[in-house]
Amino acid sequence: MRKELSDGELAVQIGLGSDAEAEGELYRRMAPRIRLYGLRHLRDEQAAEDLTQQVLMKTLEALRAGRLQTPEKLASFVLGTCRISVLDLRRNTQRRERLLEKFGADLTAPAQAWLPPLDHDQLARCVQSLRERERSVVVMTFYDEQTGADVASFLGISEANVRVIRHRAIQQLRDCMGVAG
Amino acid sequence: MNCSEPFGAAVLGDYWLGVLGGGEEEVLEEHLFGCDECGARLREMIALADGVRNLAKEGCLRMVVSEAFLRRVEEEGLRVRQYTLPAGGEAQCTVTADDDLLIARLAADMSGARRVDLSIRDGDGVERLRLPDIPVRAGASSVVYQESMTFAKAAPDNEMIMRLMALDEAGERLLGEYVFHHTRSLPGPGGW
Repeated sequence: MRKELSDGELAVQIGLGSDAEAEGELYRRMAPRIRLYGLRHLRDEQAAEDLTQQVLMKTLEALRAGRLQTPEKLASFVLGTCRISVLDLRRNTQRRERLLEKFGADLTAPAQAWLPPLDHDQLARCVQSLRERERSVVVMTFYDEQTGADVASFLGISEANVRVIRHRAIQQLRDCMGVAG
Repeated sequence: MNCSEPFGAAVLGDYWLGVLGGGEEEVLEEHLFGCDECGARLREMIALADGVRNLAKEGCLRMVVSEAFLRRVEEEGLRVRQYTLPAGGEAQCTVTADDDLLIARLAADMSGARRVDLSIRDGDGVERLRLPDIPVRAGASSVVYQESMTFAKAAPDNEMIMRLMALDEAGERLLGEYVFHHTRSLPGPGGW
């Protein structure tokens, strides 16, 4: 087993020719990051997985063809490819309609499989222990991803206050759940 | 993993909600593509958001909700059982296995109230729970309270009294009292 390569060394190694171990390392290193990006921007686990495959394929093609001018900037290249690919996905209405048809109401459901496990009963206790306004902000925000303006209107406070309450409530939930940091 | 400048939960939460400014978002994404420690923290944040979302869908939280929230859950196909009571009103109520959310609409004149508490009492009038300083929109003529469906589905026949109270320097003032006569319609005797 060879030492862990830097991003630049990895890019160079893949560019030198067929190296399954290096390509596997690229997948291991970049796939979780791409998936996270995809989940954030596409709000769908399957779409995020599709994006991951698509971006890794483009990255491998570029590396094998020696098209990456600055190997040390591998992560930036992958991020840039993610951004372009997500824009393409959004522009491609046919594909979007296909996703909607395929996944329907689940399109906005967050990913489950690769998220850390959470004690459901403990979370219920933690949410219930929040102050009323904090609970309203957290639930309205995360259930429906309502905008700060909607929540502010319901609570009769400013958007800036909603943001402060949300931050405080998130920190309290993390503390209550024993999440470090 | 050893991130020298970890992003805090607040920033990661804002990123997940899409409310970071464009510049801030770009900086964070550049960081996330080189830092698996912050990536792990973002996944924790998503799990938290996901967990809260699931709790809301299960109707197991006791809380005041908005009309927009109710519309959204109904759009999602969840079954909402609602009871609407005027101040001083009573209702015969129950829950069935098909119900997802249990809602009480409590009408009251809340004009001028600076702080409103919701007091939940048993049939003898003993306070069992108080939700202090509940969110009340200016000009609102009712409070939309969600009772825990877990609690309601486990309940035997019982009586519950809710009171909306206004609080100010002068003390506590009753805005409205609402009595719920719950009849168990689910199999089994029930019991908390």
